[in-house]
Amino acid sequence: MKPKIGVFVCECGPNIGERLDVPELVKFAQGLDGVGFARSHRLPCCSDGKKEMVEDIKAQQLTHVVVAGCSPRDHEATFMEVCREAGLNPHLFQMVNIREHCAWVIPDRQEATEKAKALVRAGVRRVVLHEALEDRTIDCVSDVMVVGAGPAGMEAALVLAHKGRHVTLLEKSPVIGGHAVRYEDLFPAMECAACMLEPKMEEVLHRHNITLLTCAEVEDVVGFFGNFTVKVRRHARRVDPAACIWCEECSKACPVSVPNEFHEGLAPRKAIYLPYPGALPNIAAIDYPNCLRSGGQDCHACADVCPFAAIHYDETDVVTDVHVGSVVLAVGFDLFDCRQIPNLGYGRIAEVYNNLEFERLLSVTGPSEGKLVMKNGQTPRSVAFVHCVGSRTPRFAPYCSGLCCMDAFKFSHLARKKASKDIQCFDIYRDLVAAGKGYHGLLDEQLAEGTEFIRTRDPNQVTVEAANGGCQLTIPQEGGSRKLSVDMVVLAAAVRPSADAAKLAQLFGVSIDADGFFSEEHGRLAPVSTTIGGVFIAGCAQGPKDVQASVAQADAAAGKILGTLLQGEKLPLPAITAHADAELCGGCKTCLSLCPYKAIHYVETEKRAEVNEALCKGCGTCAAACPTNAMQSRQFTRDQLFAEIEGLLS
Amino acid sequence: MKSFQPRIVGFLCNWCSYAASDAAGGKKQPYPANFRVVRVMCSGRIEPQLVLKAFAEGADGVAILGCHPGDCHYKEGNYKALRRFAALKRMLDQLGIEEGRLILEWVSAAEGDKFIEVVRTLCDKVKALGPLHVARVAQDREPRRNRL
Repeated sequence: MKPKIGVFVCECGPNIGERLDVPELVKFAQGLDGVGFARSHRLPCCSDGKKEMVEDIKAQQLTHVVVAGCSPRDHEATFMEVCREAGLNPHLFQMVNIREHCAWVIPDRQEATEKAKALVRAGVRRVVLHEALEDRTIDCVSDVMVVGAGPAGMEAALVLAHKGRHVTLLEKSPVIGGHAVRYEDLFPAMECAACMLEPKMEEVLHRHNITLLTCAEVEDVVGFFGNFTVKVRRHARRVDPAACIWCEECSKACPVSVPNEFHEGLAPRKAIYLPYPGALPNIAAIDYPNCLRSGGQDCHACADVCPFAAIHYDETDVVTDVHVGSVVLAVGFDLFDCRQIPNLGYGRIAEVYNNLEFERLLSVTGPSEGKLVMKNGQTPRSVAFVHCVGSRTPRFAPYCSGLCCMDAFKFSHLARKKASKDIQCFDIYRDLVAAGKGYHGLLDEQLAEGTEFIRTRDPNQVTVEAANGGCQLTIPQEGGSRKLSVDMVVLAAAVRPSADAAKLAQLFGVSIDADGFFSEEHGRLAPVSTTIGGVFIAGCAQGPKDVQASVAQADAAAGKILGTLLQGEKLPLPAITAHADAELCGGCKTCLSLCPYKAIHYVETEKRAEVNEALCKGCGTCAAACPTNAMQSRQFTRDQLFAEIEGLLS
Repeated sequence: MKSFQPRIVGFLCNWCSYAASDAAGGKKQPYPANFRVVRVMCSGRIEPQLVLKAFAEGADGVAILGCHPGDCHYKEGNYKALRRFAALKRMLDQLGIEEGRLILEWVSAAEGDKFIEVVRTLCDKVKALGPLHVARVAQDREPRRNRL
């Protein structure tokens, strides 16, 4: 069919009408190849204008439309909708910006009109090459997988489940709640952590549409947004969760004793154990590598005493495929290993602790049941908190971990409560960070209660030595150093990425930032999305943050999923994507590594590249690099852009 | 005689530099009419052929404007533009197209003023260089090639 292009010149009231020679521009447009209709309008974006335009498109049987007016960022969508209403494919349309690019910036009327002519000519040359792109959709699964059952993961799972989504919640350890549930109190309001998190944990355990898989890890992932198949390995717990009620008989009978990692190694546990009192799910687990049976011994002490026959030594790992449309990665953090800074004495001096250990010493579910005592059983009379350990140190964590200062203030508060109100507290710091809502209150309390703040250029340069059953610190000061003797030292260590982050990043194709945390799709505008469609991040896996920020990110991620992956609906594909011409593609794979969204894969059998349009965001980087012009960026093809350039310059 | 009015093509990414051109328009501050814009989604879309096409069609100067490093809507398209720009500049040099006729600049959506500044500077520079004669350039190069 011979094209019949319609050109509509918008006067934009006086904005264009008074600055350009509109009749001259219309006359010029009428003379262009392929243009069968041209007119001006005072304000085509208003309702009357749109109506007239629909009528014109229909009456004139236009095949393509060009609107010369404002920026496409203002009204491109408006006029595409007009085309749609008139029964014309909205992609057979081009917007030409003669307001921002001509009328408003070229004072000379004739010069402005001449430039507008060139822009209209470019639009007309280009629009005839436009493709009538169709709205496309794909089938999708609306179920979601959440990896990590800490505060962020549980929150995301619950928000999604409340909206009726089925959620598979994966947790690597035998219990849920993450780090935070093992804290005594949470700053800034000093609420009991377990009391706040337990209702959520109970709900996670009992909701019909959340499948909790403990002792479980992601082993492999295939697919894309809307259609992921995640291979999950469930490590054998060797205890039947339906039969066990954690009566503790098994654990009492077990002859093995190993350090309990859930008490940060401060107390032992058995090989069959519940990590800490009140842990959920309240079911024993066998730590098989430490069980005598894994070493070939025929020990059956626990099975002998179990009143419920809940122990199954022969249980094996189960590997299952889970089909989900979207994934939230909320795998939390690991603490910086303070042994890397030997002068701080950690691991060498008994009374030097890291912040997680101190949390456990303060917690009623901890090894001392919440009594703050030293290893010799005595109550400490003084504690020094060393800030910034590993943080803001180029060698380890160059960033501020953001929550260790608040941890230190919380610890002083709790030390007074748990040990004695007269306990002497010292904060050895570089800068104090208390920027969150309500956070200053805890700092003000420390200032009022007599915590002594000792500033030093870099707390990582402090030296700690054992002295008199406690510790002696040497704190570098301007022109010398200060000695300080205390009973205990607590190192407020940096928040580091979880050891699992790198593996998960590789499996899902998500990028990792310079510090090892998951990278956002966009730091400001898409902070919980990743460049991989359908994969979201929340909590400390994205960067150091406190519980409230983690929960907020989880809510955001859940909201993103609820807003894009709709139950019972197909997933709309974007119109402007790349596609590879199978005939022209030489299979050089240049495009594969360039795509930031991993949207291009290589079809081995046909030796060519193929674009997954569910993942492509249409940036066109692949098209720019394709040596055979097989890769084309829809609406920005080489031919279309060439035609536009010719139009601008002829 | 009317002074030389160069023709300049600007390839602008949709998210930052095109938005900056809109912001410049919104300020209603005049800038040279010589600058004509091709909008693309990302500066990473700019293949060398597009720039060569512009020169071949009679452009005296070309600008590639993208998001600042770290701000790319598509994560890293602007870095790819930067790499291609570096390679392209060497090619232009071999074609005899003077340095200064092609520029790459980062202009954020908020930098309407910077956009105007970049356009003015490029126009002045290209005016000083005079019209580009691609055909003549090719002839000038011929004897040198024979010497090799």
